[in-house]
Amino acid sequence: MNKPEFYQRLAEILDAEEVKPENVLKDFEGWDSLAVLSVLAMADAKYGVSIKAEEIRAINTAEELANLIASKQK
Amino acid sequence: MKFTFHRKRIAGLLTVVPAREKCFLEEMHNFNFPESRSLKLKEVMGFDKRRVVEPGVCVSDLAVFGLHHLFDKGLLKPDEIDALILVTQSPDYFMPPTSNVIQGRLNLKQDMICLDISQGCAGFVIGLMQAFMLLEQESVKKVVLINADVLSRKTSPKDRNIRPLIGDAAAITLVERDTEDSIIHARLKMDGRRANTLIVPAGGMRMPATPETAMLEDVGDNNLRAKDHFYMDGTEVFNFVQVEVPPLIDELLADAGRSAADMDYFLCHQPNRFMLQKLADKMKVPHDRMPNNLVERFGNTSGATIPMVITCNLAERLEREKLYVCLAGFGVGLTWSAMLLQLNKVHFNHIIEYK
Repeated sequence: MNKPEFYQRLAEILDAEEVKPENVLKDFEGWDSLAVLSVLAMADAKYGVSIKAEEIRAINTAEELANLIASKQK
Repeated sequence: MKFTFHRKRIAGLLTVVPAREKCFLEEMHNFNFPESRSLKLKEVMGFDKRRVVEPGVCVSDLAVFGLHHLFDKGLLKPDEIDALILVTQSPDYFMPPTSNVIQGRLNLKQDMICLDISQGCAGFVIGLMQAFMLLEQESVKKVVLINADVLSRKTSPKDRNIRPLIGDAAAITLVERDTEDSIIHARLKMDGRRANTLIVPAGGMRMPATPETAMLEDVGDNNLRAKDHFYMDGTEVFNFVQVEVPPLIDELLADAGRSAADMDYFLCHQPNRFMLQKLADKMKVPHDRMPNNLVERFGNTSGATIPMVITCNLAERLEREKLYVCLAGFGVGLTWSAMLLQLNKVHFNHIIEYK
C-alpha cells in the first residue's frame, strides 16, 4: 500500500486539508456515517479488501486504519 | 436457494405515492450535523425529494386507492382477483391481516386468498415467487401483488442515518399466466443471524410499546432515536450488499446460462445512489444499465422500489419492446433475492398520487 496516497484519499473523504498518521479519526468534523461508508467503499474498490463495521469502530487513528487495510491485502 | 417458474408474467404495474413531498435541503437543519457534511451526504447518496404519508395514513389506504384507480380505469375488474398478496413491514394491525382489510374495503369476492408476507426490501421478488406458485392452481388466474410500506412513520426526526432516505409508497403488480413458454429463474438467501441489522426494536410482543420506548435517546453518533423507531446499521448493510449480492446474481446468471452482458437492465432495490453505484462497479455493470434514480425523486420505498424503478425508467420502452432483466432485492431479514425474467406486454405502467 502506498501510504501517502492512502492518507490523501482519506483527506478527501473527510473534507480535510491533510490527514497525518497520528490523527484521531473521531477528531475530524467529517468523520460521520458517510465517511465510514466511503472508507468501506474505498477499501473495497482501491485495495480489494472488505472491512467489517465493528472493525472500523475499533479503529482510533488514521495509521491504524491504513494498517488494518494493508494487513488484509495478503 | 434456487427456483424456476414457467409461463408466468407481469401484466401491469401501478404505483401509488403520497402527494406530500419532503425536501432534504429543508429537512437537513433538523439533524445534528454541520451543513457542509449534510450537503455532501445529499450529493453522494442522491437525497433530494421523498414522498411521505400524512399522519394516520396506512398501507391499506394506499392500496385501496390504487385498486380503485385500476377498477375505475377499466384496467382490472374486482371479480378477476383470485389472490391478493400484501408484502409489508408496516401493517395496519397485528391482527387481522391487512390483505383481508383491503379485500373487505373493496368488497372483493369471498372465493379468493388473501395473504400478508412480512418482508421489505427483498419482498418484490418474494411476492412474485408466491404469486407464481399460486398461479399453478387452476382456480387462480390473476394475482394482485402489493408491496407497500409507510415506514416514514417509524423514523426518528433526529436520525440522519434513516430519516432522509425513507419514502412511502404502494406498488401494485398484476401477475398472470403467460401463453409463451417463458422460463423465470430466481435465487434467494436469508440470514436470520443478522436480523438485528434492520429492526424496529419496540412495538411487538418482545418489547411492547410504552411511554419509555417512545423517548428519544442519544445513540452516540449525533443521532437521536427511540426504541419505537426504525434502526438501521448502515455500514453493516453496505457490507452485506457488496459481499452477498454479486455472487447471488452470478449464480443466477449461471443457472440461466446467461452473462451480465445479456441483460438489458439490472433493476435493483433502491437504498441510495451510492450503494447502487458501488454495486454496479463491483459487478462490472455500466451505471446506465443499473438505474439508481429513485431515491432522489421518491426516497427508498422498501419493497416498492423495484416496480417503481421499472415504471420510472422503462414505461415507454415496455410499450413497444421486450426487455430481459435481472431484478435484485436486499434488506430486512436479512434477505437477498434475485430473478431473471422477460418484461413484455405490460398493460399498465404508471404512478399516481394519493391525496
